[in-house]
Amino acid sequence: MSDEKQDSSSILTWLTVITFLIAMVAIFVYVPTEQTEGAVQRIMYFHIPAAWLAFFAFFVVFLSSILFLWKKEREWDIYALASAEIGVIFCSLVLITGPIWARPIWGAWWVWDARLTSTLILWLIYVSYLMLRHQTDMGSMRARFAAVLGIVGFLDIPFIHFSVLWWRTFHPPPKMISPEGLGTGMDPSMVSTLLLSLGAFTLLYFVLMGQRIKVEMMRDEVERLKKDHLYSN
Amino acid sequence: MTIIWKDFITEIKTRELFSSMFIFALLVVIIFIFSINLSLIQASEVGPGVLWVAFLFAGTIGLNRSFMLEKENGCLQGLLLAPMDRTALYFGKLVSNFVFLLIMEVFTLPLFMVFFNIDLLPHLLPLLYVIFVGTLGFCAVGTLLSSLSANLKTRDIMLPILLYPLIIPIIIGSVKMTGQVLAGEPLSSMMNWVSLTLCFDIIYIAISIMVIDFVLEE
Repeated sequence: MSDEKQDSSSILTWLTVITFLIAMVAIFVYVPTEQTEGAVQRIMYFHIPAAWLAFFAFFVVFLSSILFLWKKEREWDIYALASAEIGVIFCSLVLITGPIWARPIWGAWWVWDARLTSTLILWLIYVSYLMLRHQTDMGSMRARFAAVLGIVGFLDIPFIHFSVLWWRTFHPPPKMISPEGLGTGMDPSMVSTLLLSLGAFTLLYFVLMGQRIKVEMMRDEVERLKKDHLYSN
Repeated sequence: MTIIWKDFITEIKTRELFSSMFIFALLVVIIFIFSINLSLIQASEVGPGVLWVAFLFAGTIGLNRSFMLEKENGCLQGLLLAPMDRTALYFGKLVSNFVFLLIMEVFTLPLFMVFFNIDLLPHLLPLLYVIFVGTLGFCAVGTLLSSLSANLKTRDIMLPILLYPLIIPIIIGSVKMTGQVLAGEPLSSMMNWVSLTLCFDIIYIAISIMVIDFVLEE
């Protein structure tokens, strides 16, 4: 690990910490309380960015999987693994924060709404992806299988989306991007808080991604050293 | 082609797969009948769901066997060494899985009709179409994943875990379409589901052809 890389990753970490602090202040102090929903609405500033991040992370899994099958380089496999793990964590966060909000607003922890259902299915797909990685031994087979599942799983998203949409739906329609223009459904202070929170979460993704990749590369290095020094003589 | 024939001949000789799949599907239907109170719920409302759950569970048994048989005696190695395209191997397995499942389903239908007291005969053609499309989608994804899970230590458990989340769209679509067909609606009134399931089938067969080389690589 060169010093330059170390520097840039620590700058990124600090930037994330600062953005998160500002976002926290904005969420809990600056932004006004929503009139009808009350204080619980503030959880949306975590819920929506986490959801966005989970989808983004799964998209990265998809891209890395394709690139792995194409180029056969270990680093793409590492990217896919790191991104899938982060995606599952944030998807879990979405599934936890959602019911906390839904309980007082809808009167039920869970309803079989289209978006809830598709997020749950998505979570299941990527949990099974991580399980597959655990079940398979190290090496090219695991990477290939995981890549295949990463591609197949992501391509399923449009089908899941439409099938559960036609099945039934109650989720509040998107307020941020509405036909009347960007952010018209919300107070400007809410929009800016949400954007800030989105930015903070996105930075967090890259920090976590960097850390996870570093860990995985170290693990490879350990394996290599073990092979060289332990088993050779 | 040869793979399809080989699978058929083995099956005709042993009959073990078909009978176990069929009895299993039957058991699923019966267990559902015990677990739901049919005097309270309209049979036509739960029927399609029960039918597809039975197909799904029985189909999983078939898929699990499909590549395991090859793996057991090292036949897969031989097939891979044979001078042919890997895609042909996928197609052979897809067709044999698909046909076995269809036969099993055709045998299950009359019993389903009797147990649930639903008259299927007037809707037979659209119903067969729905079953055809739904089963094809299930087999397209299932064959790919079974070729993958056959290499794992815990293959019996991993196949359903990998497969079920992915085929949820096709399950929802098939159950909805079956329900509407049994209610007497024509297929043209549910074009959105028809096109969704068809797209699913086509895309997953296509993507399987593209990635099967990577799965079967030794």
